[in-house]
Amino acid sequence: MTPANAEIKRHAPSDIRIHWFNAACWLLLLVTGLGLIKNEKLNPLGAWLPDALRGLFGGGSAGGAVLLTIHEIIGVAWLLGFAAYLAVNGGGARFFLAEIFSVRPGDLSWLARKMARMTVGVGKELPPQGYYNMGQKAFAQASVAGGAAIAVSGIILLLSDKLFPASLAWLVGWAVTLHYLAVGLVFAGLLVHIYMAAISPEEKPGFRSMFTGSVPADYARHHHYLWVKGLEEEGQGGK
Amino acid sequence: MNQRLAMVIDSAKCIDCKACQAACKQANHVSRGAWRNWIKEAAPVVENGKLARGHFQPGACMHCDEPSCLAACPTGATFKSADGSVGIDPKLCIGCGNCIAACPYGARFRDPVRRKADKCDYCPQRRAAGLAPACVDTCPTKARVFGDINDPDSAAAKLLAANQGRVVRIVAKGRDTKPNMYYIASTAPEGWAVKPVDPLSFNALTQVVAPLVRYAVGLSGLGVLVMLGRQLMAGQKPKASHHAGPDTTSDPEAESRQGTANKPETADKEDGHDAR
Repeated sequence: MTPANAEIKRHAPSDIRIHWFNAACWLLLLVTGLGLIKNEKLNPLGAWLPDALRGLFGGGSAGGAVLLTIHEIIGVAWLLGFAAYLAVNGGGARFFLAEIFSVRPGDLSWLARKMARMTVGVGKELPPQGYYNMGQKAFAQASVAGGAAIAVSGIILLLSDKLFPASLAWLVGWAVTLHYLAVGLVFAGLLVHIYMAAISPEEKPGFRSMFTGSVPADYARHHHYLWVKGLEEEGQGGK
Repeated sequence: MNQRLAMVIDSAKCIDCKACQAACKQANHVSRGAWRNWIKEAAPVVENGKLARGHFQPGACMHCDEPSCLAACPTGATFKSADGSVGIDPKLCIGCGNCIAACPYGARFRDPVRRKADKCDYCPQRRAAGLAPACVDTCPTKARVFGDINDPDSAAAKLLAANQGRVVRIVAKGRDTKPNMYYIASTAPEGWAVKPVDPLSFNALTQVVAPLVRYAVGLSGLGVLVMLGRQLMAGQKPKASHHAGPDTTSDPEAESRQGTANKPETADKEDGHDAR
């Protein structure tokens, strides 16, 4: 059995880099993107926000055009960053996808009970979890599906005035709708992700592992019992 | 008082020479196959014993006071200027085409070369040089008159004043977008303006997706606030009981272990062991 004070490796350096690269891109894309929406029927937080953001770059539609250029450059950098990550650590990406999309028996009751415990303060015992708990899986699924939708719709928007004829303008209109939907839903999940990972005290070692790459064994056993058990069985099988 | 640029047209004077259309294309480098302005035609009705009369009607973007194109633009690339004109910033236009369907006059098109929305802009480069828009300047019969109708000395305002009560506008079906194009006495054809419609994708965005996102973000934000509130309230207790100094960050591991020992989460720590 792994000693309680040992550290277990959890994230490769490339995983850590892509996580923080993605976080930085999303933050900048979200801010510049909010500055690009200006329509009385849409303005998520009111017209003052796009006006203020455009004001930083000279104001008016010209300021908006600067925001659009910045948004496009960061968006392309985001896609290239992911392509580089897949080239460097394709195996890690496959492991991640396999983990987040495998929902085991007990996972959904874990999620329901955990949510009840965290918000109302009552809830039954939590079933043991694997490499990711069901909350992490749910947000990861939303991020992967939402990220793909954001990327595809973003590429359509980027190419709209470079490749698309007028007969395909309808596709550009739907890309706007999909872009907004995907970003909105992923952002809703992101609020919980940031709280659970960075603010909630019980996940502090998990948060730290997104810098160091490893977690304490007792934390891993407590939060990801099935993962640690699997590692131990693997180790014994190896011997 | 703000400017209010408008076009006052005596369509009875129009001889359908198309000089306005050619001058506009030349002045604004409008792409091949596209036109920023037009001359519509009411075909003469030929009947025995009556004079057959046709009618020509010059037109273009009507720079409405309540522009349906602006309401359909997601980015604000279409805007209403202080001079009353409706403009497009091509650098902010993403070519989604919403405004084209939303214009009841068909005044907008997606430029086949630039792939962005385009339409009449009252020739700002000519106005800056003190000239009238190209179509107005070139009109041999002076059917088109352009100016600030809030300035009583402008030709357009004078023409409007002289024809008070005898001015018609072409109004969209179901919604008056308050066009700033005035026809003297009467004009034909009439009733050709369609109903302004937003594309389905934009209606889905404003009526379904945007409220859905608002609820999802609101619910999630509320959940986070509740969790944060519980965390802060739970954090008060150990502070009060142990008066061991600042309980933050110097050793996050130890803190977390100690923290969990004092909280309901202890149960789930044991769960992990007990379950197997």
